[in-house]
Amino acid sequence: MTEITAELPKPAVVRDVPVDLSKLSRVGARPPFLDYLVQLWDFRQFIYYDARARVQSGTRRDKLGSAWLILNPVFNGMTYFLVFGLLLKTSKGIPNFISYLVIGIFMFQITSGAIVSGARSMQQNKALVQGFSFPRAALPIGVNVRELLANIPLIIAMLLIILVVPPVEPISWRWLLLVPVLALQFIFNLGIGLILARIISRVNDVTHLLPFTLRLLMYMSAVFYSLDRFSNHPTIYWLMQANPMFLIIDITRDAVMYGVTPSWHSWAMLSAWASIALIVGMLFFWKAEESYVRG
Amino acid sequence: MSAADELARLTADPCVVADNVAMKYQVISTEEQTEVPRFGWKILQRFTPRPNTVTVHALNRLSLVVRRGESVGIIGRNGSGKSTLMKLVSGQVRPTGGAIHASSTPIMLGVNAALVPELSGDQNVVLGCLAMGLSRDEIDARFDEIVEVSGLEKSIHLPMKSYSSGMGSRLRFAIAACGNPEILLVDEALNTGDAQFAARSKRRMDELREKAGCVLLVSHSLDTIKDMTGRVVWLDKGDLIMDGNPKDVTKKYMEFTNHLARGNNISAHGLRADVMASLEVANVVNQRGGDRSFTAAG
Repeated sequence: MTEITAELPKPAVVRDVPVDLSKLSRVGARPPFLDYLVQLWDFRQFIYYDARARVQSGTRRDKLGSAWLILNPVFNGMTYFLVFGLLLKTSKGIPNFISYLVIGIFMFQITSGAIVSGARSMQQNKALVQGFSFPRAALPIGVNVRELLANIPLIIAMLLIILVVPPVEPISWRWLLLVPVLALQFIFNLGIGLILARIISRVNDVTHLLPFTLRLLMYMSAVFYSLDRFSNHPTIYWLMQANPMFLIIDITRDAVMYGVTPSWHSWAMLSAWASIALIVGMLFFWKAEESYVRG
Repeated sequence: MSAADELARLTADPCVVADNVAMKYQVISTEEQTEVPRFGWKILQRFTPRPNTVTVHALNRLSLVVRRGESVGIIGRNGSGKSTLMKLVSGQVRPTGGAIHASSTPIMLGVNAALVPELSGDQNVVLGCLAMGLSRDEIDARFDEIVEVSGLEKSIHLPMKSYSSGMGSRLRFAIAACGNPEILLVDEALNTGDAQFAARSKRRMDELREKAGCVLLVSHSLDTIKDMTGRVVWLDKGDLIMDGNPKDVTKKYMEFTNHLARGNNISAHGLRADVMASLEVANVVNQRGGDRSFTAAG
Protein backbone atom coordinates (compact mmCIF):
# COMPACT_ATOMS: atom_id res chain seq x y z
CA MET A 1 0.00 0.00 0.00
CA THR A 2 2.94 2.31 0.47
CA GLU A 3 3.98 2.14 -3.16
CA ILE A 4 4.25 5.46 -4.91
CA THR A 5 1.67 5.71 -7.63
CA ALA A 6 3.29 5.93 -11.01
CA GLU A 7 2.75 9.03 -13.10
CA LEU A 8 -0.77 8.69 -14.43
CA PRO A 9 -1.38 9.04 -18.14
CA LYS A 10 -3.01 12.30 -19.03
CA PRO A 11 -6.68 11.86 -19.86
CA ALA A 12 -7.65 12.41 -23.46
CA VAL A 13 -10.20 15.12 -22.90
CA VAL A 14 -11.20 17.20 -19.95
CA ARG A 15 -14.78 18.01 -20.61
CA ASP A 16 -16.56 20.74 -18.67
CA VAL A 17 -19.85 19.50 -17.34
CA PRO A 18 -22.13 22.37 -16.42
CA VAL A 19 -24.16 21.43 -13.37
CA ASP A 20 -26.57 23.55 -11.42
CA LEU A 21 -25.26 22.83 -7.94
CA SER A 22 -27.73 25.20 -6.34
CA LYS A 23 -30.48 22.62 -6.86
CA LEU A 24 -28.42 19.97 -5.08
CA SER A 25 -27.24 19.86 -1.55
CA ARG A 26 -23.92 18.57 -0.37
CA VAL A 27 -24.21 15.13 1.18
CA GLY A 28 -23.75 15.30 4.92
CA ALA A 29 -23.49 19.08 4.92
CA ARG A 30 -24.04 20.91 8.19
CA PRO A 31 -27.13 23.12 8.03
CA PRO A 32 -27.19 26.64 9.47
CA PHE A 33 -27.75 26.65 13.23
CA LEU A 34 -31.40 27.64 13.21
CA ASP A 35 -32.23 25.09 10.50
CA TYR A 36 -30.41 22.55 12.63
CA LEU A 37 -32.67 23.28 15.57
CA VAL A 38 -35.71 22.94 13.32
CA GLN A 39 -34.41 19.60 12.06
CA LEU A 40 -33.95 18.44 15.63
CA TRP A 41 -37.54 19.37 16.35
CA ASP A 42 -38.62 17.33 13.32
CA PHE A 43 -36.78 14.36 14.76
CA ARG A 44 -38.48 14.63 18.15
CA GLN A 45 -40.27 11.31 17.64
CA PHE A 46 -36.96 9.63 17.01
CA ILE A 47 -35.49 11.19 20.14
CA TYR A 48 -38.40 10.15 22.31
CA TYR A 49 -38.61 6.63 20.91
CA ASP A 50 -34.88 6.14 21.29
CA ALA A 51 -35.10 7.28 24.91
CA ARG A 52 -38.09 5.14 25.81
CA ALA A 53 -36.87 1.97 24.14
CA ARG A 54 -33.56 2.20 25.93
CA VAL A 55 -35.07 2.75 29.36
CA GLN A 56 -36.88 -0.53 28.97
CA SER A 57 -33.88 -2.45 27.77
CA GLY A 58 -31.31 -0.77 30.03
CA THR A 59 -31.37 -3.18 32.96
CA ARG A 60 -32.83 -6.23 31.26
CA ARG A 61 -29.66 -8.19 31.88
CA ASP A 62 -30.00 -7.92 35.66
CA LYS A 63 -32.25 -10.24 37.63
CA LEU A 64 -33.69 -7.41 39.68
CA GLY A 65 -34.25 -5.33 36.53
CA SER A 66 -35.35 -1.75 37.02
CA ALA A 67 -35.03 -2.06 40.79
CA TRP A 68 -31.36 -1.29 40.33
CA LEU A 69 -32.23 2.22 39.29
CA ILE A 70 -33.21 2.79 42.93
CA LEU A 71 -31.03 0.25 44.73
CA ASN A 72 -27.91 1.77 43.26
CA PRO A 73 -28.21 5.20 44.91
CA VAL A 74 -29.60 3.60 48.07
CA PHE A 75 -26.46 1.51 48.48
CA ASN A 76 -24.43 4.52 47.58
CA GLY A 77 -26.19 6.48 50.30
CA MET A 78 -25.58 3.72 52.84
CA THR A 79 -21.89 3.66 52.01
CA TYR A 80 -21.52 7.38 52.46
CA PHE A 81 -23.61 7.30 55.62
CA LEU A 82 -21.28 4.68 57.04
CA VAL A 83 -18.09 6.47 56.07
CA PHE A 84 -18.95 10.11 56.48
CA GLY A 85 -21.83 9.98 58.91
CA LEU A 86 -20.62 7.35 61.37
CA LEU A 87 -16.84 7.16 60.91
CA LEU A 88 -15.75 10.65 59.94
CA LYS A 89 -18.72 12.46 61.51
CA THR A 90 -18.99 15.11 58.84
CA SER A 91 -22.64 15.15 59.83
CA LYS A 92 -21.87 17.48 62.72
CA GLY A 93 -24.33 20.35 62.78
CA ILE A 94 -26.69 18.79 60.27
CA PRO A 95 -29.96 17.90 62.01
CA ASN A 96 -31.54 15.44 59.56
CA PHE A 97 -28.39 13.95 58.12
CA ILE A 98 -30.00 11.00 56.32
CA SER A 99 -32.37 13.19 54.31
CA TYR A 100 -29.57 15.68 53.75
CA LEU A 101 -27.31 12.94 52.42
CA VAL A 102 -30.02 11.24 50.35
CA ILE A 103 -30.93 14.44 48.53
CA GLY A 104 -27.28 15.18 47.86
CA ILE A 105 -26.48 11.72 46.52
CA PHE A 106 -29.63 11.22 44.49
CA MET A 107 -29.47 14.63 42.86
CA PHE A 108 -25.79 14.22 42.15
CA GLN A 109 -26.37 10.78 40.71
CA ILE A 110 -28.87 12.23 38.23
CA THR A 111 -26.34 14.70 36.89
CA SER A 112 -23.36 12.36 36.84
CA GLY A 113 -25.35 9.60 35.12
CA ALA A 114 -26.70 11.98 32.50
CA ILE A 115 -23.34 13.59 31.81
CA VAL A 116 -21.53 10.27 31.43
CA SER A 117 -24.15 8.82 29.09
CA GLY A 118 -24.42 12.04 27.13
CA ALA A 119 -20.67 12.15 26.70
CA ARG A 120 -20.54 8.60 25.37
CA SER A 121 -23.64 8.86 23.22
CA MET A 122 -21.84 9.47 19.93
CA GLN A 123 -19.38 6.66 20.42
CA GLN A 124 -21.88 4.07 21.53
CA ASN A 125 -24.18 4.67 18.59
CA LYS A 126 -21.68 4.56 15.76
CA ALA A 127 -23.83 2.12 13.79
CA LEU A 128 -26.79 4.49 13.87
CA VAL A 129 -24.63 7.47 12.98
CA GLN A 130 -23.08 5.71 10.03
CA GLY A 131 -26.30 4.17 8.82
CA PHE A 132 -28.58 7.17 8.77
CA SER A 133 -28.28 10.88 8.30
CA PHE A 134 -30.22 12.56 11.10
CA PRO A 135 -29.11 15.60 13.08
CA ARG A 136 -26.51 14.12 15.37
CA ALA A 137 -27.51 16.11 18.44
CA ALA A 138 -30.59 13.87 18.51
CA LEU A 139 -28.47 11.21 20.17
CA PRO A 140 -27.19 13.18 23.19
CA ILE A 141 -30.66 14.67 23.61
CA GLY A 142 -32.22 11.21 23.43
CA VAL A 143 -29.81 9.92 26.03
CA ASN A 144 -30.67 12.78 28.37
CA VAL A 145 -34.38 12.21 27.90
CA ARG A 146 -33.76 8.55 28.68
CA GLU A 147 -31.96 9.48 31.89
CA LEU A 148 -34.80 11.79 32.82
CA LEU A 149 -37.37 9.03 32.32
CA ALA A 150 -35.24 6.52 34.18
CA ASN A 151 -34.85 8.96 37.08
CA ILE A 152 -38.53 9.37 37.79
CA PRO A 153 -38.61 6.32 40.10
CA LEU A 154 -35.41 7.60 41.66
CA ILE A 155 -37.02 10.92 42.57
CA ILE A 156 -40.04 9.13 44.01
CA ALA A 157 -37.75 6.89 46.05
CA MET A 158 -35.89 9.94 47.31
CA LEU A 159 -39.09 11.60 48.48
CA LEU A 160 -40.29 8.37 50.08
CA ILE A 161 -37.08 8.01 52.07
CA ILE A 162 -37.45 11.56 53.30
CA LEU A 163 -41.06 10.83 54.30
CA VAL A 164 -40.33 7.54 56.01
CA VAL A 165 -36.97 7.87 57.74
CA PRO A 166 -37.22 9.91 60.95
CA PRO A 167 -37.13 12.79 61.54
CA VAL A 168 -39.95 13.02 59.03
CA GLU A 169 -40.23 16.19 57.00
CA PRO A 170 -43.72 17.47 56.23
CA ILE A 171 -44.98 17.68 52.67
CA SER A 172 -45.50 21.24 51.50
CA TRP A 173 -46.35 22.99 48.25
CA ARG A 174 -42.63 23.69 47.92
CA TRP A 175 -42.09 20.08 46.86
CA LEU A 176 -43.48 21.20 43.51
CA LEU A 177 -40.35 23.31 43.11
CA LEU A 178 -38.62 20.02 42.30
CA VAL A 179 -40.08 20.31 38.80
CA PRO A 180 -38.24 23.51 37.82
CA VAL A 181 -35.09 22.24 39.54
CA LEU A 182 -35.18 19.04 37.51
CA ALA A 183 -35.88 21.01 34.34
CA LEU A 184 -32.87 23.26 34.91
CA GLN A 185 -30.77 20.25 35.87
CA PHE A 186 -31.82 18.52 32.66
CA ILE A 187 -30.79 21.53 30.57
CA PHE A 188 -27.48 21.80 32.39
CA ASN A 189 -26.72 18.07 31.98
CA LEU A 190 -27.58 18.21 28.31
CA GLY A 191 -25.32 21.19 27.67
CA ILE A 192 -22.34 19.57 29.40
CA GLY A 193 -23.11 16.24 27.70
CA LEU A 194 -23.08 17.89 24.26
CA ILE A 195 -19.73 19.52 24.90
CA LEU A 196 -18.19 16.28 26.16
CA ALA A 197 -19.74 14.22 23.35
CA ARG A 198 -17.87 16.25 20.77
CA ILE A 199 -14.61 16.18 22.69
CA ILE A 200 -14.78 12.43 23.31
CA SER A 201 -15.69 11.64 19.73
CA ARG A 202 -12.35 13.21 18.83
CA VAL A 203 -10.13 12.50 21.85
CA ASN A 204 -11.25 9.29 23.48
CA ASP A 205 -8.72 9.70 26.30
CA VAL A 206 -11.02 12.17 28.00
CA THR A 207 -13.31 9.28 29.03
CA HIS A 208 -10.60 8.26 31.50
CA LEU A 209 -10.62 11.71 33.10
CA LEU A 210 -14.38 11.89 33.41
CA PRO A 211 -14.77 9.77 36.59
CA PHE A 212 -12.15 11.81 38.43
CA THR A 213 -13.70 15.10 37.43
CA LEU A 214 -17.12 13.94 38.52
CA ARG A 215 -15.75 12.66 41.83
CA LEU A 216 -14.13 16.03 42.42
CA LEU A 217 -17.37 17.77 41.56
CA MET A 218 -19.17 15.62 44.10
CA TYR A 219 -16.72 16.43 46.88
CA MET A 220 -17.09 20.10 46.02
CA SER A 221 -20.87 20.02 46.15
CA ALA A 222 -21.47 19.59 49.90
CA VAL A 223 -23.11 16.21 49.41
CA PHE A 224 -22.14 14.85 52.84
CA TYR A 225 -20.98 17.87 54.80
CA SER A 226 -22.37 21.26 55.55
CA LEU A 227 -21.20 24.33 53.68
CA ASP A 228 -20.92 26.13 57.01
CA ARG A 229 -17.54 24.44 57.52
CA PHE A 230 -16.14 27.00 55.12
CA SER A 231 -17.85 30.06 56.54
CA ASN A 232 -14.42 31.35 57.58
CA HIS A 233 -12.97 31.05 54.09
CA PRO A 234 -14.82 33.58 51.94
CA THR A 235 -13.20 32.51 48.65
CA ILE A 236 -13.97 28.82 49.05
CA TYR A 237 -17.41 29.68 50.38
CA TRP A 238 -18.13 31.85 47.36
CA LEU A 239 -16.77 29.31 44.89
CA MET A 240 -18.82 26.52 46.40
CA GLN A 241 -21.94 28.61 46.20
CA ALA A 242 -21.35 29.28 42.52
CA ASN A 243 -21.03 25.56 41.81
CA PRO A 244 -24.06 24.53 39.73
CA MET A 245 -24.21 21.09 41.33
CA PHE A 246 -24.25 22.63 44.79
CA LEU A 247 -27.00 24.99 43.66
CA ILE A 248 -29.15 22.09 42.45
CA ILE A 249 -28.69 20.19 45.71
CA ASP A 250 -29.11 23.26 47.88
CA ILE A 251 -32.32 24.38 46.20
CA THR A 252 -33.74 20.87 46.53
CA ARG A 253 -32.85 20.72 50.21
CA ASP A 254 -34.43 24.10 50.85
CA ALA A 255 -37.65 23.14 49.13
CA VAL A 256 -38.02 19.55 50.28
CA MET A 257 -36.29 19.40 53.66
CA TYR A 258 -36.15 22.81 55.23
CA GLY A 259 -39.50 24.07 54.00
CA VAL A 260 -37.86 27.29 52.85
CA THR A 261 -38.48 28.90 49.50
CA PRO A 262 -35.08 28.90 47.77
CA SER A 263 -33.66 32.37 47.25
CA TRP A 264 -34.09 34.10 43.89
CA HIS A 265 -30.32 34.43 43.89
CA SER A 266 -29.85 30.64 43.70
CA TRP A 267 -32.50 30.31 41.02
CA ALA A 268 -30.91 33.03 38.90
CA MET A 269 -27.47 31.52 39.25
CA LEU A 270 -28.67 28.03 38.33
CA SER A 271 -30.68 29.33 35.37
CA ALA A 272 -27.61 31.15 34.13
CA TRP A 273 -25.51 27.99 34.41
CA ALA A 274 -28.12 25.91 32.62
CA SER A 275 -28.71 28.31 29.75
CA ILE A 276 -25.04 29.00 29.19
CA ALA A 277 -24.27 25.26 29.22
CA LEU A 278 -27.02 24.54 26.71
CA ILE A 279 -26.18 27.38 24.32
CA VAL A 280 -22.45 26.70 24.37
CA GLY A 281 -23.09 22.94 24.16
CA MET A 282 -25.41 23.17 21.18
CA LEU A 283 -23.16 25.54 19.24
CA PHE A 284 -20.05 23.55 20.04
CA PHE A 285 -21.67 20.25 19.08
CA TRP A 286 -23.23 21.64 15.91
CA LYS A 287 -19.89 23.03 14.72
CA ALA A 288 -18.54 19.49 14.32
CA GLU A 289 -21.74 18.02 12.90
CA GLU A 290 -19.99 16.68 9.80
CA SER A 291 -17.17 14.96 11.62
CA TYR A 292 -19.09 12.47 13.77
CA VAL A 293 -19.39 9.87 11.04
CA ARG A 294 -15.67 9.46 10.73
CA GLY A 295 -13.67 7.14 12.93
CA MET B 1 -25.22 5.78 -28.33
CA SER B 2 -26.98 8.14 -30.73
CA ALA B 3 -26.57 11.88 -30.60
CA ALA B 4 -30.17 12.35 -29.45
CA ASP B 5 -29.67 9.92 -26.56
CA GLU B 6 -26.50 11.66 -25.64
CA LEU B 7 -28.23 15.01 -25.60
CA ALA B 8 -31.10 13.65 -23.49
CA ARG B 9 -28.60 12.24 -21.05
CA LEU B 10 -26.68 15.46 -20.77
CA THR B 11 -29.68 17.69 -20.28
CA ALA B 12 -31.41 15.60 -17.61
CA ASP B 13 -31.20 16.90 -14.07
CA PRO B 14 -28.20 15.66 -12.15
CA CYS B 15 -28.99 13.47 -9.14
CA VAL B 16 -25.52 12.85 -7.81
CA VAL B 17 -22.48 14.99 -8.53
CA ALA B 18 -19.08 13.93 -7.28
CA ASP B 19 -16.92 17.00 -7.58
CA ASN B 20 -13.24 16.15 -7.34
CA VAL B 21 -13.72 13.79 -4.41
CA ALA B 22 -10.74 12.12 -2.86
CA MET B 23 -10.41 9.92 0.16
CA LYS B 24 -7.36 8.97 2.10
CA TYR B 25 -7.03 7.24 5.42
CA GLN B 26 -4.33 7.36 8.05
CA VAL B 27 -3.89 3.83 9.28
CA ILE B 28 -1.50 2.11 11.60
CA SER B 29 0.92 -0.22 9.90
CA THR B 30 2.73 -3.07 11.56
CA GLU B 31 5.49 -2.80 8.96
CA GLU B 32 8.90 -2.02 10.48
CA GLN B 33 10.09 1.51 9.97
CA THR B 34 12.91 1.55 7.44
CA GLU B 35 14.97 4.45 8.70
CA VAL B 36 16.52 3.84 12.11
CA PRO B 37 15.67 6.73 14.38
CA ARG B 38 18.38 8.51 16.32
CA PHE B 39 18.98 7.39 19.87
CA GLY B 40 17.03 10.17 21.58
CA TRP B 41 14.10 9.70 19.28
CA LYS B 42 14.02 6.02 19.98
CA ILE B 43 13.41 6.57 23.67
CA LEU B 44 10.83 9.21 22.94
CA GLN B 45 8.98 6.89 20.61
CA ARG B 46 8.75 4.29 23.31
CA PHE B 47 6.69 6.66 25.40
CA THR B 48 4.54 8.09 22.67
CA PRO B 49 2.04 5.44 21.71
CA ARG B 50 1.99 6.50 18.06
CA PRO B 51 2.86 3.54 15.92
CA ASN B 52 3.94 3.72 12.33
CA THR B 53 1.13 5.37 10.40
CA VAL B 54 0.66 5.08 6.68
CA THR B 55 -1.57 7.04 4.37
CA VAL B 56 -3.79 4.94 2.15
CA HIS B 57 -5.23 6.66 -0.90
CA ALA B 58 -8.54 4.88 -1.20
CA LEU B 59 -9.79 7.19 -3.90
CA ASN B 60 -7.86 9.69 -5.98
CA ARG B 61 -9.47 12.83 -7.31
CA LEU B 62 -12.53 11.81 -9.23
CA SER B 63 -15.49 13.61 -10.73
CA LEU B 64 -18.69 11.97 -11.77
CA VAL B 65 -22.11 13.26 -12.74
CA VAL B 66 -25.06 10.88 -12.49
CA ARG B 67 -28.29 12.13 -13.94
CA ARG B 68 -31.89 11.32 -13.23
CA GLY B 69 -32.97 8.04 -14.76
CA GLU B 70 -29.46 6.64 -14.94
CA SER B 71 -28.41 3.31 -13.52
CA VAL B 72 -24.68 3.24 -12.99
CA GLY B 73 -22.69 0.12 -12.28
CA ILE B 74 -19.34 0.31 -10.54
CA ILE B 75 -16.80 -2.41 -11.17
CA GLY B 76 -13.23 -2.98 -10.17
CA ARG B 77 -10.94 -5.33 -8.32
CA ASN B 78 -10.88 -5.62 -4.53
CA GLY B 79 -9.50 -2.46 -2.99
CA SER B 80 -10.24 -0.38 -6.05
CA GLY B 81 -12.31 2.15 -4.11
CA LYS B 82 -15.79 0.98 -5.10
CA SER B 83 -17.12 0.69 -1.59
CA THR B 84 -15.31 3.86 -0.57
CA LEU B 85 -17.11 5.72 -3.33
CA MET B 86 -20.43 4.32 -2.15
CA LYS B 87 -19.70 5.31 1.43
CA LEU B 88 -18.87 8.81 0.30
CA VAL B 89 -22.02 9.14 -1.76
CA SER B 90 -24.20 7.82 1.05
CA GLY B 91 -22.63 10.27 3.47
CA GLN B 92 -21.29 7.56 5.78
CA VAL B 93 -17.84 8.99 5.38
CA ARG B 94 -16.84 12.53 4.62
CA PRO B 95 -14.38 12.87 1.73
CA THR B 96 -10.97 14.28 2.54
CA GLY B 97 -11.09 16.31 -0.66
CA GLY B 98 -13.86 17.65 -2.87
CA ALA B 99 -17.55 17.17 -2.20
CA ILE B 100 -20.54 15.05 -3.10
CA HIS B 101 -23.73 16.86 -4.03
CA ALA B 102 -27.06 15.11 -4.29
CA SER B 103 -30.62 16.07 -4.98
CA SER B 104 -31.83 14.20 -1.90
CA THR B 105 -30.40 11.97 0.79
CA PRO B 106 -29.08 8.82 -0.88
CA ILE B 107 -30.06 5.58 0.79
CA MET B 108 -27.58 2.74 0.86
CA LEU B 109 -28.85 -0.80 0.72
CA GLY B 110 -26.04 -2.70 2.25
CA VAL B 111 -25.23 -5.02 5.04
CA ASN B 112 -23.98 -3.11 8.00
CA ALA B 113 -23.62 -4.00 11.61
CA ALA B 114 -26.57 -4.09 13.94
CA LEU B 115 -28.26 -0.82 14.67
CA VAL B 116 -28.76 -0.87 18.42
CA PRO B 117 -27.88 -4.39 19.58
CA GLU B 118 -29.71 -4.17 22.92
CA LEU B 119 -33.03 -3.31 21.32
CA SER B 120 -35.33 -5.85 19.78
CA GLY B 121 -35.80 -6.18 16.04
CA ASP B 122 -39.13 -4.38 15.98
CA GLN B 123 -37.75 -1.53 18.07
CA ASN B 124 -34.85 -1.26 15.66
CA VAL B 125 -37.28 -1.09 12.75
CA VAL B 126 -39.12 1.84 14.30
CA LEU B 127 -35.91 3.55 15.35
CA GLY B 128 -34.27 3.09 11.95
CA CYS B 129 -37.31 4.37 10.09
CA LEU B 130 -37.60 7.38 12.41
CA ALA B 131 -33.92 8.05 11.75
CA MET B 132 -34.66 8.09 8.03
CA GLY B 133 -37.27 10.75 8.69
CA LEU B 134 -40.44 8.67 8.38
CA SER B 135 -43.33 9.54 10.67
CA ARG B 136 -44.87 7.12 13.16
CA ASP B 137 -48.00 6.74 11.03
CA GLU B 138 -46.00 5.83 7.96
CA ILE B 139 -44.02 3.31 9.97
CA ASP B 140 -47.13 1.73 11.44
CA ALA B 141 -48.57 1.44 7.95
CA ARG B 142 -45.46 -0.22 6.56
CA PHE B 143 -44.39 -2.22 9.58
CA ASP B 144 -45.83 -5.55 8.42
CA GLU B 145 -44.30 -5.09 4.99
CA ILE B 146 -40.87 -4.47 6.53
CA VAL B 147 -41.11 -7.55 8.71
CA GLU B 148 -42.19 -9.56 5.69
CA VAL B 149 -39.26 -8.35 3.58
CA SER B 150 -36.85 -9.18 6.41
CA GLY B 151 -38.37 -12.64 6.72
CA LEU B 152 -37.69 -12.64 10.45
CA GLU B 153 -41.22 -13.56 11.51
CA LYS B 154 -41.27 -14.24 15.28
CA SER B 155 -37.62 -13.39 15.81
CA ILE B 156 -38.47 -9.75 15.19
CA HIS B 157 -39.27 -9.47 18.91
CA LEU B 158 -35.88 -10.73 20.07
CA PRO B 159 -32.98 -8.40 20.87
CA MET B 160 -30.90 -7.71 17.81
CA LYS B 161 -27.71 -8.93 19.47
CA SER B 162 -29.17 -12.43 19.44
CA TYR B 163 -29.45 -12.36 15.63
CA SER B 164 -27.16 -14.22 13.30
CA SER B 165 -25.25 -12.01 10.91
CA GLY B 166 -27.56 -13.04 8.08
CA MET B 167 -30.65 -12.14 10.08
CA GLY B 168 -29.15 -8.79 11.03
CA SER B 169 -28.33 -7.89 7.46
CA ARG B 170 -31.80 -8.92 6.31
CA LEU B 171 -33.37 -6.62 8.85
CA ARG B 172 -30.97 -3.86 7.88
CA PHE B 173 -31.94 -4.27 4.24
CA ALA B 174 -35.65 -4.31 5.03
CA ILE B 175 -35.35 -1.07 6.98
CA ALA B 176 -33.33 0.70 4.32
CA ALA B 177 -35.67 -0.53 1.60
CA CYS B 178 -38.82 0.73 3.32
CA GLY B 179 -38.24 4.33 2.38
CA ASN B 180 -38.68 5.02 -1.32
CA PRO B 181 -35.35 6.67 -1.97
CA GLU B 182 -34.80 8.90 -4.96
CA ILE B 183 -31.15 7.93 -4.98
CA LEU B 184 -30.50 4.28 -4.33
CA LEU B 185 -27.10 2.82 -3.61
CA VAL B 186 -26.75 -0.94 -3.74
CA ASP B 187 -23.74 -2.78 -2.47
CA GLU B 188 -23.23 -6.23 -3.87
CA ALA B 189 -22.77 -7.70 -0.43
CA LEU B 190 -26.53 -8.10 -0.49
CA ASN B 191 -26.06 -11.44 -2.13
CA THR B 192 -25.60 -12.91 1.31
CA GLY B 193 -28.51 -14.71 2.81
CA ASP B 194 -30.42 -17.78 1.81
CA ALA B 195 -32.09 -18.34 -1.53
CA GLN B 196 -35.52 -17.47 -0.20
CA PHE B 197 -34.34 -14.09 1.01
CA ALA B 198 -32.33 -13.51 -2.15
CA ALA B 199 -35.46 -13.83 -4.26
CA ARG B 200 -37.47 -11.60 -1.96
CA SER B 201 -34.81 -8.93 -1.77
CA LYS B 202 -34.31 -8.95 -5.53
CA ARG B 203 -38.03 -8.35 -6.02
CA ARG B 204 -38.00 -5.46 -3.57
CA MET B 205 -34.90 -4.02 -5.16
CA ASP B 206 -36.40 -4.17 -8.65
CA GLU B 207 -39.41 -2.25 -7.36
CA LEU B 208 -37.16 0.33 -5.79
CA ARG B 209 -35.06 0.66 -8.91
CA GLU B 210 -38.12 1.36 -11.00
CA LYS B 211 -39.20 4.13 -8.66
CA ALA B 212 -35.79 5.59 -7.91
CA GLY B 213 -34.43 8.59 -9.73
CA CYS B 214 -31.03 7.00 -10.10
CA VAL B 215 -29.22 3.91 -8.96
CA LEU B 216 -25.58 3.22 -8.18
CA LEU B 217 -24.76 -0.46 -8.07
CA VAL B 218 -21.54 -2.11 -6.97
CA SER B 219 -21.08 -5.68 -8.06
CA HIS B 220 -18.46 -8.21 -8.96
CA SER B 221 -20.93 -10.00 -11.17
CA LEU B 222 -20.54 -8.55 -14.64
CA ASP B 223 -23.79 -10.19 -15.72
CA THR B 224 -25.71 -8.36 -13.00
CA ILE B 225 -24.04 -5.16 -14.10
CA LYS B 226 -24.91 -5.68 -17.74
CA ASP B 227 -28.49 -6.61 -16.84
CA MET B 228 -29.21 -3.77 -14.55
CA THR B 229 -27.24 -0.74 -15.63
CA GLY B 230 -27.01 1.59 -18.57
CA ARG B 231 -23.57 2.94 -17.75
CA VAL B 232 -20.54 1.44 -16.09
CA VAL B 233 -17.65 3.02 -14.25
CA TRP B 234 -14.43 1.06 -13.82
CA LEU B 235 -12.27 1.92 -10.85
CA ASP B 236 -8.82 0.55 -10.15
CA LYS B 237 -6.63 1.39 -7.16
CA GLY B 238 -8.65 4.50 -6.54
CA ASP B 239 -8.41 5.79 -10.10
CA LEU B 240 -11.21 6.20 -12.58
CA ILE B 241 -10.18 4.06 -15.55
CA MET B 242 -13.17 4.01 -17.82
CA ASP B 243 -16.68 5.39 -17.94
CA GLY B 244 -19.02 4.31 -20.69
CA ASN B 245 -21.66 1.88 -21.85
CA PRO B 246 -21.76 -1.49 -20.08
CA LYS B 247 -20.71 -3.59 -23.06
CA ASP B 248 -17.47 -1.72 -23.82
CA VAL B 249 -16.41 -1.23 -20.22
CA THR B 250 -17.04 -4.81 -19.10
CA LYS B 251 -15.23 -6.09 -22.19
CA LYS B 252 -12.11 -4.06 -21.42
CA TYR B 253 -12.34 -4.99 -17.76
CA MET B 254 -12.55 -8.69 -18.65
CA GLU B 255 -9.48 -8.36 -20.84
CA PHE B 256 -7.66 -6.66 -17.99
CA THR B 257 -8.54 -9.29 -15.39
CA ASN B 258 -7.73 -12.08 -17.85
CA HIS B 259 -4.25 -10.65 -18.33
CA LEU B 260 -3.82 -10.50 -14.58
CA ALA B 261 -5.12 -14.00 -14.05
CA ARG B 262 -2.57 -15.31 -16.53
CA GLY B 263 0.17 -13.36 -14.77
CA ASN B 264 0.72 -10.90 -17.61
CA ASN B 265 1.06 -7.93 -15.31
CA ILE B 266 2.85 -5.85 -17.90
CA SER B 267 0.21 -6.22 -20.58
CA ALA B 268 -2.50 -5.70 -17.99
CA HIS B 269 -0.98 -2.44 -16.93
CA GLY B 270 -0.40 -1.46 -20.52
CA LEU B 271 -4.06 -1.99 -21.19
CA ARG B 272 -5.00 -0.03 -18.08
CA ALA B 273 -2.82 2.88 -19.18
CA ASP B 274 -4.21 2.79 -22.72
CA VAL B 275 -7.79 2.82 -21.52
CA MET B 276 -7.06 5.56 -19.09
CA ALA B 277 -5.37 7.66 -21.73
CA SER B 278 -8.56 7.73 -23.78
CA LEU B 279 -10.69 8.62 -20.78
CA GLU B 280 -12.88 11.64 -20.97
CA VAL B 281 -12.61 13.33 -17.60
CA ALA B 282 -15.49 15.39 -16.37
CA ASN B 283 -14.80 18.76 -14.88
CA VAL B 284 -17.76 19.88 -12.82
CA VAL B 285 -18.65 23.48 -13.49
CA ASN B 286 -21.24 25.15 -11.35
CA GLN B 287 -23.81 26.74 -13.56
CA ARG B 288 -26.42 28.84 -11.84
CA GLY B 289 -30.00 28.03 -12.72
CA GLY B 290 -31.22 30.33 -15.47
CA ASP B 291 -28.14 32.25 -16.47
CA ARG B 292 -25.77 30.75 -18.96
CA SER B 293 -22.53 32.11 -17.65
CA PHE B 294 -20.31 29.37 -16.27
CA THR B 295 -18.72 29.84 -12.89
CA ALA B 296 -16.04 27.63 -11.52
CA ALA B 297 -17.16 25.16 -8.88
CA GLY B 298 -16.06 26.20 -5.42
